[in-house]
Parts: sequence; C-alpha cells; structure tokens
Amino acid sequence: MVAIHVDGLTKHYRVKVREPGLGGAVRALFRPRYRAVRAVEGVSFRVAAGEIVGFLGPNGAGKTTTIKMLTGLLYPTAGRAQVVGFDPWKGGASFKHRFTLVLGNKQQLIWDLPPEETWLLNRVIYGIGWPEYRRTIDELVALLGLEDVLGKPVRQLSQGERMKCELAASLLHRPELLFLDEPTLGLDLTAQETIRAFIREYSQRHGATVLLTSHYMADVTALAPRVLIINHGQLLYDGELRRLSEQLAPVKRLELVLGDGVAAHDLARFGQVREFSHPRAVLEVPRKQAARISARLLTSLAVLDVSIHDPPIEEVIRRAFAGASVESTPESTPEHAATPTHQAPVSITAEAERDWWASLAAAERAETVAGD
Amino acid sequence: MRAARAARHLGPAAPRGARRLERHLALLRAFWSANLAEELQYRGNLIANLLGVVFWMGTAVLTAALFFRQAPALGGWSFWEVVALLGVFNTVGGVVEAVVRPNVGRIEQYVRRGTLDLILAKPVDPQFHMSFRRVEAWRSADVLLGLGLTSFALVQLERAPSALELAAFALTLASAVTIVYAIWLTLLTFTFWWVSVDNLEVLFDAVYEAARFPVSVYPGPLRFVFVYLLPIAWITTVPAASLIGRTSPATALLAAGVATAALVLTRRLWWAGLRRYTSAGG
Repeated sequence: MVAIHVDGLTKHYRVKVREPGLGGAVRALFRPRYRAVRAVEGVSFRVAAGEIVGFLGPNGAGKTTTIKMLTGLLYPTAGRAQVVGFDPWKGGASFKHRFTLVLGNKQQLIWDLPPEETWLLNRVIYGIGWPEYRRTIDELVALLGLEDVLGKPVRQLSQGERMKCELAASLLHRPELLFLDEPTLGLDLTAQETIRAFIREYSQRHGATVLLTSHYMADVTALAPRVLIINHGQLLYDGELRRLSEQLAPVKRLELVLGDGVAAHDLARFGQVREFSHPRAVLEVPRKQAARISARLLTSLAVLDVSIHDPPIEEVIRRAFAGASVESTPESTPEHAATPTHQAPVSITAEAERDWWASLAAAERAETVAGD
Repeated sequence: MRAARAARHLGPAAPRGARRLERHLALLRAFWSANLAEELQYRGNLIANLLGVVFWMGTAVLTAALFFRQAPALGGWSFWEVVALLGVFNTVGGVVEAVVRPNVGRIEQYVRRGTLDLILAKPVDPQFHMSFRRVEAWRSADVLLGLGLTSFALVQLERAPSALELAAFALTLASAVTIVYAIWLTLLTFTFWWVSVDNLEVLFDAVYEAARFPVSVYPGPLRFVFVYLLPIAWITTVPAASLIGRTSPATALLAAGVATAALVLTRRLWWAGLRRYTSAGG
C-alpha cells in the first residue's frame, strides 16, 4: 500500500528583494522588487505504508516546503500528491486526523503548565474518548519514559524532555503517518538516541509511516533504510542509504599503513590524499580502480597495509549538495521499488565522476554553508 | 480558483448543527480551562487589574461630571445617560481585553513565528481555534464593573427597563461584541499580506475611544462614518440607547443584522488571507 504518492510537485513563490540600508528600504516601500524562489521543482516519489524514509538536504533545500505541501498547509504551484488516500488540499478534518506534524523548532506545549494539560487539550481537539486516551497516553508515557516529568511545568523541563512530551502530544490520535521535521534539533546525544529509539519502536508497533528530516546524519542512518535527498528544490537521490555512496560518490577510500620513507607526494600520484599523518594515510581513488590501485600501491611503495572503504556518508552528501552532482543530467533510474518510472531522480554515475573531482574545491568552499 | 477551493477545505468537515455546536463548546471548555489554569499562576494580575478598572471608571465618570458642569447635555444625552453609556463602553472593552485582544491580537505572532502551521494541521476550524484559544479571565471584572456602572446609572435615572428593553439590550450588547471582534479580525487579517501589523491594534484603540461618547455628539459626516463605515455607533450608543429607552427595541434586530453582516464579511476576508498564506507561505 502506498502512503504517499507525489508526482511532479512544484512550489514557486515570490520574495521581496530588499537592498540594504535606509535607501533600499524606502525604495522597496514604493517600488517593491520581487525575486522568484523555486522552492520545490518537480519532485516525485512514493512512500509505502509503514516505511521510514529520511528526507535530507541543507537549509533551504525544499524539505520543509515539501512537508508543508504534503500536509495541506501550502498549495503547490504544480504537481499532484496523494497522502494516505487524500488530496492534502481537500482532505479537511478527516485528513488531519490521519497524520501528525512535528516541527522541531516550534512547539505546541503550554509553557507554564505540565504537559498533561496540552495532552488533554489535544484529546478534545481530536475528539478522543477517555478510555482510548488513557490507553494511548499510558503507552506513550511508558515508551518515552515520561513518568518523572508528569506534573512538572513545561518551562522546567529539559529540551529533550520537552521534545518527548511534544511527540506524545502529537501521537495521541494514533496517526498512521508521521511528518517529523527536525525532531532532534538542538538535543544532546542521549536525548537524540532516545527519540530515535522511540520513533523506530513506535513505527514498528503501529505500522506507522514516517517521513523524517534531520540535520543529523545519525538520525537518518539509524532509522531510515531509504533516503530522499533534495537540494535546490530538486530530488537528487531516492534509494537505499547503503547504496548512496555508489550512486553519489564514485570513489573509494584506501586507508593505508605506510612504511618508512613514504611521503605525501608519493601517494599523490595514485589519487587524492585526504589525510596524511605518518604512518597512516587516507587516499581517495576512483571507485572502479580501487582494487587495481591498491595492488599497485603495495608493489611500488613501502605500504604495509591497505583497506578499502566507502567515504563517510556525511561527506558524500555534503559534497553532493555543494557541487556538480546537481548539474548532472537525469539518465538512469535507481532501481528502488517505490520509485515511479517517470521523473526519475537525478542519478549520479559515470560521467559525474569528472564533476566529482571538480567539485572537491567547491565542496571545501561551501562547507560552512551546506554542512551545518 | 483551485487555491480557493483548497483553502475552504482547511475548515471543519461535515459535522453539522447540534453536533457541531456541541463539539465547539467542548473545545471552548478545553481551551479556557487550560488557559485558566495557566492564568491562575498570576493572581497579582487580578488585583492590579481590579484596582485599575475602578480607577479608570472613576476618572471617566469624573471627566463626564466636569463636562456636565458646563453644559446640561452631551449630544442630547443627560449626565446619567452618558454614565450608562460609559458602563457599556467598559463592558465591551472588558470583552475585548478578556477574549479578543489575547487571541486576535496574537495572529501576527502566529504568522511570524510559524506556529500557525501547527494550528492549521489540527482538525479544528482555524478561525475558531485562533479566536478562542485564550481568555484573560480576570478581565471579566471589567465586564461586571461596567454592567454595575450602567445599573447604577439606571437607578439614578429612576428607570426600570421592561423585559423587552432588557432583551433588546442583551441582543445589542451581543451584537456590539461581535462587531468589535469583526473589526479586530479584519485589521489583524492584514497580517497575511503585510506580516507586521503591530500598529493596527493601536489604530483600533484610537478609533474605539470615539465610542466613549454617544454618536450624536459627532458632526454629521463623522456620525455617518461611525454608523455605516466603522460601526462604532453600534458598540456603545445603540446598547445604551436601547436600555434607557432612547431607541425602539426593533433597533436591536438591525444591530443583529449589522453584526451578522460584519461577521460574514470578516470570515470571507479571513479565508482570503489564509488562502494567500497557503499559496504564498513558506
């Protein structure tokens, strides 16, 4: 069963352009100039019921805009979407009973009161009967380990506790579809881990579908076997997380243990030197030639050990955001079952290799922008 | 066109009539009991506000008394008739402070901080949600004291209103509150176009001051504006007049008509604003 079916979803809007300074402000008052923002550009994908999908992209990539469209909060410029059988813009209250929206940077909890007050409010908002409410809240409190925060005003809770209470408030009506936008934003590692464990457990128990955006790769690697990567409003990759490196990064990393007398410039002939602190070094080489280069290294230099790895997933994605992959042409479709044949996400393969190397410099420059 | 349809569907789905009323009353109870629990933590507000209201009403009556030392009537109204009107002014003002300002006045924040998204994602009519989510309960003191002042003026006027006049007063007062709400919502709905509209509240306060006097004190063109364009006359003059017998009870029906029209127009504007939010947004 398909929970989300998105077809060519597009959102453009206009933003006012303001020149800096008083002069600019006055000019903008009388003759406003606008710039078109292509927030989301022809995005298509499917999510099966019960699936957990990670939605990745830097700030402003179009993740939140897409989620807002899928929840009916924003009307698209073009394209269609079907979410749990509803057109999100026509679904009304019956649609809103089926999903929940958690925004990591916005909260619904009543600040000065214990979290139970917000839960009780949501009980009425969603029209949940008392027995069902008790059953659900008992389960959520146990799963999230909230026994100790009951009765405490929200303002006295830690950020992690607040997010847990927020999740409880958002799941009272037992939605089958969870839109979680940065649910671990600003949380410490332990709290992040608890939230992750909860999401996994909840989805398994209730067969809930989860669309999760996060800045933290760990969230995604821990939860979502499948990822959607979006940048500049376009879907860059749709497929299994573990195949991402093959698709997006046509390189392998050779981790070397060097003997005496091998210098960085000796290695440079074989590939890109990523790290060098004798006796250890990391060399990046084209994926297909990894085995051959390893063999050559062993024979021509004093190399004691070679192991071949995929580049770290964070870095693969960071570079993909920063550089050339966006310009690659759509040609082949990643063979993920849920991907429709039309409007294939851009797949990065052979000819992207050239761009990949070219993008290295760009990636470094853009690190602060895209990496967050 | 498609956007218009979409926005309409953000509203509540099917439940009609009694079930719908029942549900909204339950929501109101839930909203306000949560909010009361919150407000009870600040008991100091209650006392400070009570003192403030008493002081404010005293000043208003004193000002009127000073005026009446110079002239026998104000726009054809006697001193105690004006005091009855001041009571209405305070009553309606109390409702504004208790329910309208804490909710409608917050729309701008909802839009700017994006919490509107959380409200729109809930299966509740967003206008209802945003208009009644909060209540500043201690402000009901304004309402009680205002009604007290009006009653006191009636005693001084040696006037016992008939049952029909009382009913007319109740209807005109309800209409007055509705009209004030509509004016507020209209002003704040411009948030959807301009984003920052802090000053519109100040604009309302300035215009509302005009309701402190019977509309008959104003010269012709201004009176026309207050009756037909900015329906200030319907907020204080009409309820007070219907209580002290200066207008026929039938006026109450007219007041209800004006209130209904104001409410319908405002709701349309509100949906237009929301439509703009959902199609521009972000």
